[in-house]
Amino acid sequence: MAALAIDAHLLSGLASEIRRGAVIVTGTNGKGTTCRMLARVMRASGLRPITNQEGANQPRGLATTLLAHASPAGHLPADDRAVGLFEVDEGSLPEVLSQVSPTTLVFTNVFRDQMDRYLDLDYLTRRWERCLWSLPADTTLVLNADDPRLAYLAADLPNPRIFYGLDDTGHHRSGVDHTSDFPRCPRCTGELGYTCVFYAQLGHWSCAHCGLTRPAPQVRAAKVDLIGPAASRVQIATPAGEAVLEIPLPGLYNAYNAVAAVAAATAGQLPGGALPAVTEMAPGFLRMEPVTIGGREVHLALAKNPNGYTEVLRTLLRDGRPKHMLLALNDRDEEPDVSWIWDVDFESLCGLVPSAVLSGNRACDLAVRLKYAGWTDGAAAEITVEPDPVGGLRLALAHAPEGQPLWVVGTYQVLWQLRDWLRRQGLVNALWES
Amino acid sequence: MSVRAITIGYLYPEIMSGYGDRGNLAAIVRRCGWRGIATDVRELRLGYRVDPDEVDLFLIGNGGEFHQRLIATDLADVKGPGICEAVGEGAALLAVGAGYELLGRFYQPSRGVELPGARLFDTWTIQQGADLTTASCTIAQARAGRAIGDLLVRWDCADPGRRLREELLVGFENHSARTYLGPTACALGQVVAGHGNNGDGSEGVRLGNAIGTYLRGPCLPRNPVLTDFLIRSALQRRYGGAELAPLPDQLEHAARDAALARHQGSRPGRARPSRVVRPAGHAPVGAGR
Repeated sequence: MAALAIDAHLLSGLASEIRRGAVIVTGTNGKGTTCRMLARVMRASGLRPITNQEGANQPRGLATTLLAHASPAGHLPADDRAVGLFEVDEGSLPEVLSQVSPTTLVFTNVFRDQMDRYLDLDYLTRRWERCLWSLPADTTLVLNADDPRLAYLAADLPNPRIFYGLDDTGHHRSGVDHTSDFPRCPRCTGELGYTCVFYAQLGHWSCAHCGLTRPAPQVRAAKVDLIGPAASRVQIATPAGEAVLEIPLPGLYNAYNAVAAVAAATAGQLPGGALPAVTEMAPGFLRMEPVTIGGREVHLALAKNPNGYTEVLRTLLRDGRPKHMLLALNDRDEEPDVSWIWDVDFESLCGLVPSAVLSGNRACDLAVRLKYAGWTDGAAAEITVEPDPVGGLRLALAHAPEGQPLWVVGTYQVLWQLRDWLRRQGLVNALWES
Repeated sequence: MSVRAITIGYLYPEIMSGYGDRGNLAAIVRRCGWRGIATDVRELRLGYRVDPDEVDLFLIGNGGEFHQRLIATDLADVKGPGICEAVGEGAALLAVGAGYELLGRFYQPSRGVELPGARLFDTWTIQQGADLTTASCTIAQARAGRAIGDLLVRWDCADPGRRLREELLVGFENHSARTYLGPTACALGQVVAGHGNNGDGSEGVRLGNAIGTYLRGPCLPRNPVLTDFLIRSALQRRYGGAELAPLPDQLEHAARDAALARHQGSRPGRARPSRVVRPAGHAPVGAGR
């Protein structure tokens, strides 16, 4: 506990020395990508963002990040252009906000994730609401209008708020996904109706009971073009004008990340001319990250909760062309719950994956999941179980025909092991070099 | 022989499916489908009544206390009588976690008055965890006292053919409420590893072909013997006979064996008890990855 107390002191002291204050991004999915996009816009605006490493998103990680920038005397160098840009673990937000007062606080979305740890999404959002009351009155909240829990988050709080959302209804789905927690009306707990669902519970919603409706977003994606499994184009309207962003990442979920980043830039009054800089971002660590192994094209994609896994698979298989895959599943230390894989929509992808190798310490559970999704009926897919990740990768490469890329989708631990092995083979850079 | 068909009543699908519970439905539908048994899934939402002659197999899954408050009165008053009558006539039922808790006499939340139960089972449940409906506690405090981990149960399985077998069921538990059995209730089985109902060694409840349990995971895919028990019971009720063709279950058994293997090693041949998280300060609270 003593070390934590020192961390708290360090974090609050160092964070208060950042001249332009700090932007905090939290939520279930998309924190890291939103931060990487926003970092590009900040740099193009002449700022020097101080960012934390992915995963170092709890108070101790933030303190470590700031210490690395500090002088031996324990102070940050005076820099009028320095701005903090931190992704913060959704469970750690109350603790972080007790030590850091952000100028802008961005919420991406609330999905089911690590339920054994966060217990309950409504509990998680109530904890957020409670800690928001300690924010300075001028902290801007940047909220996803399409996520009912976020659209109504701490509605009584007088702070300025900027809503963002998707307006391109061409991407609607037929109904709310089972990956979502089927939120009730955040005001009256009535049943929500949708004129348009993009995925999970994100969409254009309203409550028939009390009349609460999705707020009109000030920053909105007017048009989203999904260009294959590696790129997209998002036309974003802000109060200051329009921008067309070419993003080296696929999928609707990255369109949300882009519009969240632009909304945060709008909150920080960054120049509109800096927005196209998101194009320069590198596809992040394990975010469809490309690798070449023995002349073969391999992509690594992290997927750690039902919604993330479903959207990554949908995005990859959207063109209807079969893809060879290595699907990986690990549980976390002492938390043997992998029930969330039953909320991943494997059913609708049945038949699109001719060969799948399953890896990780819970590969057997994944095999059962795919069997009950119909993947083994009538040999719809050839499924092989190899719990060892490197062995699994070798097998998957052997199963995928020459000239066809291999897609590796899985949870953190397995992908981390694979990436570490690839690094030792000299095939990828270390995390801190990328 | 004409095609056999069973009707499944899936209770509160959009409210009580919080923890992969749809996997239990998938297990039943698939294992019927592979045997040429047709399934008709009725979604029994808030306000819908239950016709006891219609449903052969009920399923209710998990949720938080917020979800329990949404459904408790409807389950007790609107659906409860129909469910109790159907189970009395041999219908099968699987209730997991929060759904199990609401099928007893009552559920006592951490704060406020008790929620009514559907009174199918002679059980009651007391919430002993922190009150999650306010946010005044930290995650560590909220986790304190929760039973979290693998749950292994020895099930004395008397199927409708009265062949007595002993089966080991595997699952995962995560609950802070404690369920107690009344004088007329029979436990589903005995805890081999984990916490179960309340720490007294019993797990779940069994009444005819109705089962309440803390086994999550979801539990049916990894325990095909339990799935087939429910299907056989449903067929028995509908047709008076219940022959089930065997299925190849190598994948299911591999997943089950992997769970069993996690509980061997520290003491060979003995299962390792799962962890009950201790109060804040002692708990190895998940530090991210």
